[in-house]
Amino acid sequence: MDVFLQQCLNAISLGGIYALLALGLAVVFSIVSLINFAHGELMTLAGYAIYAALLFAMPLPVALGAGVIAAALAAMAIERVAFRPMRRADATSLLITSFAVSVILRVLFQNGISARPKPVALPPELSGVVTFGPVHLSVIALASIAITILSLAALSLFLTRTTMGRAMRAAAEDFQVLRLMGIRANRVIAVAFAISGALAGVSAALWIAQRGSVDPLMGFVPVLKAFIAAVIGGLGSLPGAVAGGFALGIAEVLFQAFLPPEALPFRDAFVLSLVVAVLIWRPDGLIPAKTGRRS
Amino acid sequence: MRLWLSLPKSAWFGAVLLAALVAAAAIILRFAFGLNGENIAVLMLLQIAAVLALAIFSGNSGIVSFGHSAFMGLGAYTAAILTMPASVQKSALPALPGWMAGHELPLLAALGVAALVGLLAGFISGVPLSRLSTGSMAIGTLAFLVILHVTLVGARDITRGSQTFFGVPRLTTLGVALAAAVVMVLLARMWRESRTGLALRASRENEVAAAASGVDVTGVRLRGWVLSIAAVTVVGALYGHFLGAFSPKDFYFDLIFTLIAMLIVGGMFSTTGAVAGVVVLTAVIQILRRGESGFSLGSLTVPPIFGLPQLGLGLALLFIIWARPIGLLGLTEVGPATLTRKREAAPAPAALPPAPEQTATKRLEVRDVTVRFGGLAALDQVTFDVLSGQITGLIGPNGAGKTTLVNTICGQQRPTAGSVRLDDRILSDMAPWRVARAGLGRTFQNIRLFDRLTALENVVVAAQQTGADRAAAEGIAMAELTRMGLADRWDQMASGFAYGDRRRLEIARALALAPDFLLLDEPAAGMNPAETDALIATLDALRRERPLGLLIIEHDMRLIMRLSDHMIVMNKGQKIAEGPPAAIQTDPAVVEAYLGSRRKQTS
Repeated sequence: MDVFLQQCLNAISLGGIYALLALGLAVVFSIVSLINFAHGELMTLAGYAIYAALLFAMPLPVALGAGVIAAALAAMAIERVAFRPMRRADATSLLITSFAVSVILRVLFQNGISARPKPVALPPELSGVVTFGPVHLSVIALASIAITILSLAALSLFLTRTTMGRAMRAAAEDFQVLRLMGIRANRVIAVAFAISGALAGVSAALWIAQRGSVDPLMGFVPVLKAFIAAVIGGLGSLPGAVAGGFALGIAEVLFQAFLPPEALPFRDAFVLSLVVAVLIWRPDGLIPAKTGRRS
Repeated sequence: MRLWLSLPKSAWFGAVLLAALVAAAAIILRFAFGLNGENIAVLMLLQIAAVLALAIFSGNSGIVSFGHSAFMGLGAYTAAILTMPASVQKSALPALPGWMAGHELPLLAALGVAALVGLLAGFISGVPLSRLSTGSMAIGTLAFLVILHVTLVGARDITRGSQTFFGVPRLTTLGVALAAAVVMVLLARMWRESRTGLALRASRENEVAAAASGVDVTGVRLRGWVLSIAAVTVVGALYGHFLGAFSPKDFYFDLIFTLIAMLIVGGMFSTTGAVAGVVVLTAVIQILRRGESGFSLGSLTVPPIFGLPQLGLGLALLFIIWARPIGLLGLTEVGPATLTRKREAAPAPAALPPAPEQTATKRLEVRDVTVRFGGLAALDQVTFDVLSGQITGLIGPNGAGKTTLVNTICGQQRPTAGSVRLDDRILSDMAPWRVARAGLGRTFQNIRLFDRLTALENVVVAAQQTGADRAAAEGIAMAELTRMGLADRWDQMASGFAYGDRRRLEIARALALAPDFLLLDEPAAGMNPAETDALIATLDALRRERPLGLLIIEHDMRLIMRLSDHMIVMNKGQKIAEGPPAAIQTDPAVVEAYLGSRRKQTS
């Protein structure tokens, strides 16, 4: 019972991280059709910001906040420098641009900071276990799930209750019409990038809490998975990204728990093959994006 | 093979010329830099082959693949296990399954096996990938990069896992690499011109228009992917026999990043561009690699920068996309014109089909078509016929459901109820490309051309979907271009055409399908009166020349009243009137829909 519950928690907390990352990708994709390869580097950057803040002996909540803000600002900066000059470019050019930005940032991290992992010391109470009667559950997994739920709730409130949030949802369906309504496109896009960066920052905090270190490649693997989560969910669909993220996280933990030991090195291959099989069945993803199409 | 020989002579000439240039570059490198030059030359030739293999899919489809490097790894490990000396194999891979061990095949046989493995892997990965939308497909290739990488690392008994795999005979000499590059130049250049290659390029320019021209976009993407993967697997096998020792990391992100950078910098839209990108970036990488360990410029000392070549490639990519997104060479292919500066002669037009001798009348039947979006009925039980040999005009105020009707007839929108039939075939059950092949050509309200193809190629794409080979399709295409008055501009890119000419080119393309019915969606939109008059004359002549049924959706009353034999009027998703133009003009329901009734205005 203990093990099973703990595995469920692990699945949900890992899925939550993928969901937040995939959501960050989807927020940007739904508006500018950019598949942002540099999202992983935003996550890494947030990790370094948390590391630096703790080095200056800031309290943990402040450090985590600093990470989120740093990633949001960096996302806006990248948008301003690399993507805004190419507003009229096609999707492939945008994809390649973000790919190049990602590689450049990674080389900069390796040379400017260190190619080796930097340990991030977390308060010991985080790595403990809470006991509910007969069950023991890890604090980090619970905290991670709580933060994921809070972030999703905050984003959903923003998107449904504020003018800017509504404008963003409208932009996702038909950007041209939004412009005709007199809403400033550049602001909508900048906010989308900021949200995307902030989500990467939150995921970085959760990721570091579980792993305890930050290195130049930190964001690489989780964001790779998040790309795939965004596609299973339905590229550009926000509820889809969340669904895809959780589905991928749960699949990963299930395979980890139930694969025979000799097959464990192939876990990711199994998970991704399963994902591809899902795409045969639903090529537009679990919850396809709504877009305004006219012939 | 016969089909390939029917491809344009100029393309063959260009392919051979490009291969000769590649060979010359390699030989110059070899003799200018000695033994080190040989290594650089072999690497450059292999990268040319790999980038061209990538271009077969990515260049023609416009969809970047991140998976190709992992398939190179698949080829490298497969072939290396087959060619390894048995004695080395025993010590390096003690746990290798028996059926894999001790083959000691010659290189060529191992390449053959690698090609088969590549075909199979390409097919298995291509089936799900080709069904995805353009953006999702690029990401989907990432999934295969990870799947293959994880598998190579995990299969320790066969690959030594993440440890170095060694003992591979270095069989890829300069001669072998040169042969591979030459073969790949010919393959990539000629496949680009093939029926599938051209159709794939059309889908890159405009997916919807390609389907409306009869192209099975999923099918051509699958075929391009399988060929590209098989080719890159073979190149990977050769790369493995060049390295001699490697690990799965050598076929991961850095490799695919390098290949993509070369393809994009040179220009993904032409084989010449792909080759040029490799040559230019090989030079950049060689220079940067020397600087990686730090260097001094006079009094300035630069510390070692780890990953300097990657940084350089990243910056080169950013610069090229910012300054010249189509790459250094853009759409240029070397060919006869490179040497002589003379314009090629146009292909001879085929004879137009003879005037109809009262052939049997065909019918396009729209029966009780209803389309609902949520609670809104965009179309409500619409029924009418379009007869061949007639011009049927469809009008209606904005929001009447005209666009939904067009999409339903062309297979883009499934009706909630009802059907569209052509003779005994039910079009409303078919995908758009099947509707096009079944005999329904169309144009688009906001023109959709294949911008980076020539006018001739635009029309050839459609003509080939009726089964014509390249030579015959060129004949048909020239005939249709001549018919629309565009013959002398056959070799110009469609992107350079003025508005009226774009409309006419789109009609020529639709006619090349030899359709029974042609659907024109607001053909006069944006035209001045003189252009509209010319269009009216052309459409009127077309009706008399061919047994063609025309369905014209139009706001321009002058055009529709002058041309139509029969008219249909829609409002709010319903057909409100039908009949000859004279009767329609005085129909009270039509007048009310367009002007509003007096009673409503006063109330």
